Amino acid sequence: MVQAGSMGLPFIGVRGLLGSDLLRQRPDLKVEGNPFHPGEEVVIVPPIRPDVAVFHALQADRWGNAITAGLRDDLMMARAARRVVVTTEEITAQELTLQDAVNNTFLPAIHVDGVVHAHCGAHPCRCGPLYPADAVHIKEYLNAAKGEETFRAYLDKYVYSVSSQQEYLQKAGVAAFTCEGNRQ
Amino acid sequence: MTEITSEYSPEELMAVVISREVRDLETVGVGAASPIPAAGCILAEQFQAPRATLMILGSKEYYPFPAGSSELHFLAQRGELDLFFLSGIQMDRHGNINLHVLGDYNSPQMRLPGAYGSAMLYYMAHRVILFRTEHSRRTFVEKVDFVTAPGSTPESVYREGGPTKVITPKAVLSWDGEAGEWVLDSVHPGSTMEDVQANTGFTLRVSPRVQMTPPPTEQELSVLRTIVRPKLERIYPEFTRTKIRLDKK
Repeated sequence: MVQAGSMGLPFIGVRGLLGSDLLRQRPDLKVEGNPFHPGEEVVIVPPIRPDVAVFHALQADRWGNAITAGLRDDLMMARAARRVVVTTEEITAQELTLQDAVNNTFLPAIHVDGVVHAHCGAHPCRCGPLYPADAVHIKEYLNAAKGEETFRAYLDKYVYSVSSQQEYLQKAGVAAFTCEGNRQ
Repeated sequence: MTEITSEYSPEELMAVVISREVRDLETVGVGAASPIPAAGCILAEQFQAPRATLMILGSKEYYPFPAGSSELHFLAQRGELDLFFLSGIQMDRHGNINLHVLGDYNSPQMRLPGAYGSAMLYYMAHRVILFRTEHSRRTFVEKVDFVTAPGSTPESVYREGGPTKVITPKAVLSWDGEAGEWVLDSVHPGSTMEDVQANTGFTLRVSPRVQMTPPPTEQELSVLRTIVRPKLERIYPEFTRTKIRLDKK
């Protein structure tokens, strides 16, 4: 579905799914006869075009070129989304090119609408080779997410009452200028 | 720490049994959250399948593509995937698997993360091996609460392959395509046919060729714990440290 969105197609055919209970629960998945193979049924799905997609990058430049950790399908999602925001550990002075992204994923500026500098910006998740996930914080989040009130309290503490990334990191107990203080 | 009394962990046993299913020159995929099949495939590469192409999600060493999981899914959709491994919270007599919900879909007792391509891969891989570390009546049920992907489909549905085996800590079940149901194929050391049936929530037909699973050999365990271990640890560090023992030698 994201694939169809990334290609600008009106719909796409999908293998499998027939006989699954998913078709009962998802009215957006349609079953049609394959016009090229009479007698065969296929599932047809609509394109997904997210309003916004957000990626966290290892590096980005001021033109919007970005490098995300590992080999990923970010490019497909970036093409499908109507707006793309990149948060990044570092903004480089020089322009980034595909050659800078060995074993990582390159997002070319043509797909990117905005870049935000956010050191330790993947916290509490891991960021490629830079820092691991913060298991203690993720546990706190999971516990908070069990109820409306506890989740609201979590948001108040870490999102609404915080005015900068640095203040968030302080509250979350992460060292301000490096992620070395991140709890394993 | 409890004292280690058996010669191998249940996960090691399952990895060895899975490794014996991989054939040389095959194109083999291992999906997310599948450390046991990953261990089994890397082990097979050291023995009978040195020229298998392994594609293990989350691995750098075993991922021969320039992008993410879409590559593996598209390869399967092209009909080029020989072997894949799936699991589920429930599996039933007729090969249906459930990765979605326990209970009613609209007010579930438990909601799971979802299929992540299983409802395509179960049709498009030439052979699918199911694995589950819990062999119990709540896992192996008469009918799954939700069919994420069905064991069999009518002629009008394009299907490259489907279920072939289920591997658990107790036994191997094999798929009878004509009857559309599972058959008890072999029982692991430490279990019995009665034990397997008592922990399966539907009546299991027994294969006329039913046998005791050949236990892991010293060589299989040794290679698993020496050559495979560090490779697996780069993909699944926590699993490797807790479930794959260190070679004593």
